[in-house]
Amino acid sequence: MKVKGFLKDVGGASRVAKARLAAFENASPMPVTDDPIGDVARTWHPGKLDLVVTEVRPASRTATTVRFERRDGKKLPPFYAGQFMVVDFPIGESLISRPYSISSAPYQARLDEHAFVEITVRRSKGDGFICDYINDSVKAGDAFRGMIGCGQFFYEPLRDARHVVALAGGVGITPFASMAREIAHGTLDFDLTILYGSVSSGDITLRDELERLHSDKLHIVHVLSGDEPDWQGERGFLTAELIKKYSAEDTTYFICGPQVMYKFLRGELGKLDIPRRRVRFEVFGQAKNITAFEGYPQEVKDKTFELTVVRGIHEDVIPAKATESLVVALERAGIRIETGCRSGECGFCRTKVLSGSVYICPESDGRRAADKDFGYVHACAAYPTSDVKIKIPIE
Amino acid sequence: MKFYKDHYDVIVIGGALAGLSAALMLADKGKDVLVLERHNLPGGIATSFVRGGIEIEAALHEMMSIGSKDHRLKVGKFFDDMGVDIDWLRVPEAYHASLPGLEVTLHPGLETFAREVDAAVPGTYDKVLAVLNLCHTVFDSVNELSIHPASKPQMLLKHEAFVKTAGYSTQEVLDTFGLPQKALDLLAPYWIYVGTGFRELPFTIYSVLMADYIGYGSYIPHKFSHEMSLKMAERAEAMGVQIEYRQHVDKILVRDGRACGVRTARGDEIYADYVISSAYPNSVYTHMIEPADAVPARAIKMVNGRRLSLTAFSVILILDKSAGELGIKDYSVFRGDTMDTDACYAELKGLGPYRYITCICHNLANPDATPPGTCSYSITTLPRVDGWKTVSADDYDRVKHEVARQMIDYMSEYLGVNLLDHVLECVIETPMTVAHYTGMWNGCIYGYAHTMEDHIVARLQTADAEHFIDHLEFSGAHQISGDGMGPAVTNGRKAAKNVLDTMEREAK
Repeated sequence: MKVKGFLKDVGGASRVAKARLAAFENASPMPVTDDPIGDVARTWHPGKLDLVVTEVRPASRTATTVRFERRDGKKLPPFYAGQFMVVDFPIGESLISRPYSISSAPYQARLDEHAFVEITVRRSKGDGFICDYINDSVKAGDAFRGMIGCGQFFYEPLRDARHVVALAGGVGITPFASMAREIAHGTLDFDLTILYGSVSSGDITLRDELERLHSDKLHIVHVLSGDEPDWQGERGFLTAELIKKYSAEDTTYFICGPQVMYKFLRGELGKLDIPRRRVRFEVFGQAKNITAFEGYPQEVKDKTFELTVVRGIHEDVIPAKATESLVVALERAGIRIETGCRSGECGFCRTKVLSGSVYICPESDGRRAADKDFGYVHACAAYPTSDVKIKIPIE
Repeated sequence: MKFYKDHYDVIVIGGALAGLSAALMLADKGKDVLVLERHNLPGGIATSFVRGGIEIEAALHEMMSIGSKDHRLKVGKFFDDMGVDIDWLRVPEAYHASLPGLEVTLHPGLETFAREVDAAVPGTYDKVLAVLNLCHTVFDSVNELSIHPASKPQMLLKHEAFVKTAGYSTQEVLDTFGLPQKALDLLAPYWIYVGTGFRELPFTIYSVLMADYIGYGSYIPHKFSHEMSLKMAERAEAMGVQIEYRQHVDKILVRDGRACGVRTARGDEIYADYVISSAYPNSVYTHMIEPADAVPARAIKMVNGRRLSLTAFSVILILDKSAGELGIKDYSVFRGDTMDTDACYAELKGLGPYRYITCICHNLANPDATPPGTCSYSITTLPRVDGWKTVSADDYDRVKHEVARQMIDYMSEYLGVNLLDHVLECVIETPMTVAHYTGMWNGCIYGYAHTMEDHIVARLQTADAEHFIDHLEFSGAHQISGDGMGPAVTNGRKAAKNVLDTMEREAK
């Protein structure tokens, strides 16, 4: 194209149209289906996968490790050490999902043969029937569906300090087990000291497996709160004093454990002069007793409401207890809803409340501002306080 | 269980800005519309997410074509007309350009902008204003012609500047003004938002970009782009549109050469008179049409004859100090080692280090963007898909962290602050992230490259000949108006208009 005289040139429009048609005419007629960027996205996030249990072994007196491989024998998706997986459990008519931190390492999900992930689940004290089900009933050969690599509880080198102190309680050791294994394998690089609180030495989960990983970069300090005369190690709770003893000048703290421990540790960490960006809690988990939270309307707690569930042009009406989240009501009724963290954070179960009122667990309100304005809730953290009508995706 | 009606007037694949705009316009005309969106919320990349209790904008830098309340531009007016009431916040400046030997903050308003360029490069006021006025004249013509096509004599009479510059690249036209290089450099930074270097970029596209952004400034929604997407979706539903989330469309069903419905990944077959696809023509023609032999060879040649444009790579930081404490002064900064746009474009083919960067600090347009004592800072480059196509799943994390670190270091050097000392949250968005959440072909957010061979003026002229399957329309960045959230709305409206025009024609 000539530059000079463009102000006189009126043929530009037809010229570019000709150029366009010529480019098409000269192009290949063979379909090109390569989408390598999409392929990487699908490798990392394939959605729910068909899994099969290949091993079940005890992880302590009170906990069990379950190993899953892909049913089609392929590698599992890459994930970050510390993330969780969501497992669907078909229980009677219901399909119940639960998030579990992955206790195996990311590299083990990418092995050429028998790539696997593991979860380690502790027998519960009465309120987690799925935990008991896993400990009592799951066996090699069982089939489940699961989604691997969820959540934000992982080491981010652009954010976190080189020195990490992990504060683990009970089965909260699992994300740190994954990190420890990946560090030992040489594919994750930071210094990790795990302060692991247990009641008694028999409760220490994954003890032997983790002991074998000790190195310059990896220290595991057991802290027993129970009365055990022969115990040589640290005793008591994970106090500010103890935390300080194992901290470097610049330390990031990762915390995973039961809800009571979170409350205690917020207090202990508050005594130390730690910048906000250096403290990272794993999600809270489903509230154990929603009526105990501030602002819960006590007058409804014994009620059961009508929950109208809209999916497309279809409607169902199901019962919903005031003390159970909308997700639990749906699962009890056998209506599928996608869930992730079950702590109100990830938004997988984002749901529109069309009418009626709900109570949102204040520990678990990870909603977007505009969603709040339009009555969207995360159904795992929303509890009915009247008859409610909701719209959820068709699964 | 029956989740869908037996029949719809129109099925829209994709509930992002283009698809929702199409749905709004069709519902406004009384049509029965179903929108199927693969994610569990509307907007595509026009969305937000919450990390550590802080809501974070996913993609929007600056929304063009909105205009002030008193002088709405076409996208702003469309939202008003449709009853989509968005709390728009004005972005304070056009941009700060940080180039070798130049640190200049420029503000919208053609004369203001020309005056500020003149202050940095004395003696250039008249010429810069002449460039901007020419852009504005072309912009007016494009806007008018997109609504009222004109005859050839009328074109010359009323749209002379448009007609006479249509055949030329941005570089060719800018060269005729005889501006010093430094002034040209200050007129260049926005090029990245249309994605090709000046030797390839049609001047028409550059004109629209400059006249719109520099003439009228830009806006963001108060509650992030999710406010915009959600309000569009809510309004569409209020107008009777059925929107279903988490529904991935696998196939577009074609019977007797005419689109008649879709099949979703869950196996639902849903029927309609028309289908509007936000999925790329590449996806549609290579594997979505059923039966596959309903795709003519010309359709494949059409997609093969085009070049995919840019995608996005962003490092979004939530920092533990306010913008003021960190010395962040500008909402929008473009930083480059050079403003040779063709050299920058060439560099975007690789995997970094990227030396042409755009940074946004939302707090400087929206003080509520993050909690007090913190701020958000996003560092973005818009690479071509080529380099990212070579990254394997197992190498992906290493590459993305390496590139992110380079970009953080580059901007730390600019600010004189080590940003890594202040990171509360760090999110890295890549072409793969785009592909994951939106399903866009090769993670490409910009559609096809604006080149002299793929010129908007040509796209408009040959549109009819590129219509390969009856009752199938497309909406999204891959369409006539190209990339960007403003153009997405325009592309969606165009798809709806095509459907309405066909309905009217066939009714006669």
